[in-house]
Amino acid sequence: MIRSTTLRRFGLGVVLTSVLALVSDPVAASNAAVGLAGASQDNLSVPRWLYLATGGATVGASALLASFVTDRRFIERVHLWRTTTGFSDSLVSVFRATGSLLGLVLLALVVYLGYTGPQVPTVSFAIILVFAGLRAGYTMFTYLVADTWRALNPWRTVATVVPNGFVSYPDRLGRWPAVFGILALVWVETATNVTSRPKTLATALVGYSAVTLVGAILVGADTWFDRIDPVSVFLHFYGRVAPIRLDDDGLSVRLPGMRLVTDDDMTDLADIAVTVVLVWELTFSGFVTTEQGAAAIRAAVDVGVPPLVVYGLLYLGGFGVFFGLYVLAARVTARRIDTFETPLSLAVRFAPPLLVIAAGYHLAHYFGFFISLSPMLAEALMSPLSSPANPLVLTLPAWFGALNIVFILFGHLFAVWVAHSQAYRTFPSRMQAVWSQFPFVAAMILYTIISLWLISLPTATPPFI
Amino acid sequence: MTTDTDAPRDRHLCETCTEAYPTARLLVLHRGARHPDALDATEIEAYREAYYEEERELKSFRIRALGVLVLLYFGFLMLFIMYAS
Repeated sequence: MIRSTTLRRFGLGVVLTSVLALVSDPVAASNAAVGLAGASQDNLSVPRWLYLATGGATVGASALLASFVTDRRFIERVHLWRTTTGFSDSLVSVFRATGSLLGLVLLALVVYLGYTGPQVPTVSFAIILVFAGLRAGYTMFTYLVADTWRALNPWRTVATVVPNGFVSYPDRLGRWPAVFGILALVWVETATNVTSRPKTLATALVGYSAVTLVGAILVGADTWFDRIDPVSVFLHFYGRVAPIRLDDDGLSVRLPGMRLVTDDDMTDLADIAVTVVLVWELTFSGFVTTEQGAAAIRAAVDVGVPPLVVYGLLYLGGFGVFFGLYVLAARVTARRIDTFETPLSLAVRFAPPLLVIAAGYHLAHYFGFFISLSPMLAEALMSPLSSPANPLVLTLPAWFGALNIVFILFGHLFAVWVAHSQAYRTFPSRMQAVWSQFPFVAAMILYTIISLWLISLPTATPPFI
Repeated sequence: MTTDTDAPRDRHLCETCTEAYPTARLLVLHRGARHPDALDATEIEAYREAYYEEERELKSFRIRALGVLVLLYFGFLMLFIMYAS
């Protein structure tokens, strides 16, 4: 039998080689033979279909490689590994109080400066903080390090100090309100000018605050922020990928993504829908900002369909397709495997890997954006009341584009391992554990190909909005 | 976790955790992997047998998977030779 360390090294080697082969630039292999430089300067040009097929095959091959690891004890050791540190109660309350205060101050500043500050997006504190800060940087922090939104959330801070919980929330609704909430927020972000007009953003925030506070006071802060509030659910789901968790017991560190295997806190179809929304919203915004996407929308509008209807159909239809594909994978698995698990229970168990995929996409879409705007964000946070005369933006080197491919592929590779561990937890037979993953891996390969295709296209401004 | 309780099939129940499995072999594998301390001598023997039987299936699966990996490798090598320039 092959030893697992050898297997791991072999697997890692294959993965790294394939990633390097995908992103490497032959010119980078410079050497002392300057006289031959002219002969070796041509870049290797790979047709797009081959680049996409290689990306898909990398995910498929890594799923096959993962299936070679059949030692239950090794798999359990990986996902159960943890180290914990306790905090004193006073330190926890200091963290909480600081977080609450910071959240309230930032919300007040965003709304105040949104109305009174300069109406230019690149110097507006409100726009920079919400989009470069919360949407890009803080979301990355949430899945790469730890979820701290519970302490920071200003609406929760307010809602918990007043009497709340007057109406009981029907359990059967689950997290469906959050699914539609996230879809609605992304729609507002794409189709209105909140990203360019600070006043509109401030008004949207005031409206959001009113709805959130009334809702949280009516159904109770815990229920509202756990199930209904789109921003909290969005960050909470991303936070489950993070290696660090801070709670009343202190700080615990796990390997990245491994909480997804053991924390069974997904229960129904709505939770699966939330994870699919996280993957889909990034794919959608990726599509409408490419030249091909814009051309497709223009073509549909030329036929006579109103632009907003085209966007709406694409947005909800695409979500339906992604969701349907995933449910189909669960059905195929349930039919092909001798088990009493229902398609729903399998879908619930295999949904968490999608969160790692979503984190990889988010990083691919926002990392470059965040790094180039980070000086602007730092300046805005240090002196919120004085707008900079010359906002500083970093220019990214060309190889940053290759990082996006690495982020997407690594997200998928982690997801393959999470699905592998989950399969071993679910099925008593190792052969069943191996076969059960393949329909899900097929869905993942399709998602990879779509994402790699989107990031390879030239970008454009979405038309008509 | 929800399981399909109306299925008109044999149900092999685990006496330790009441989880149901469609075949006796799956139940043996489940008890061996999840409740190794609750097994008696005959169950241990049955688990060992089922485990080794599965080991043989896994071995044949690994050979096939290796075949697919080799095909993928050389297939892509050929595609890159032909289409990447």
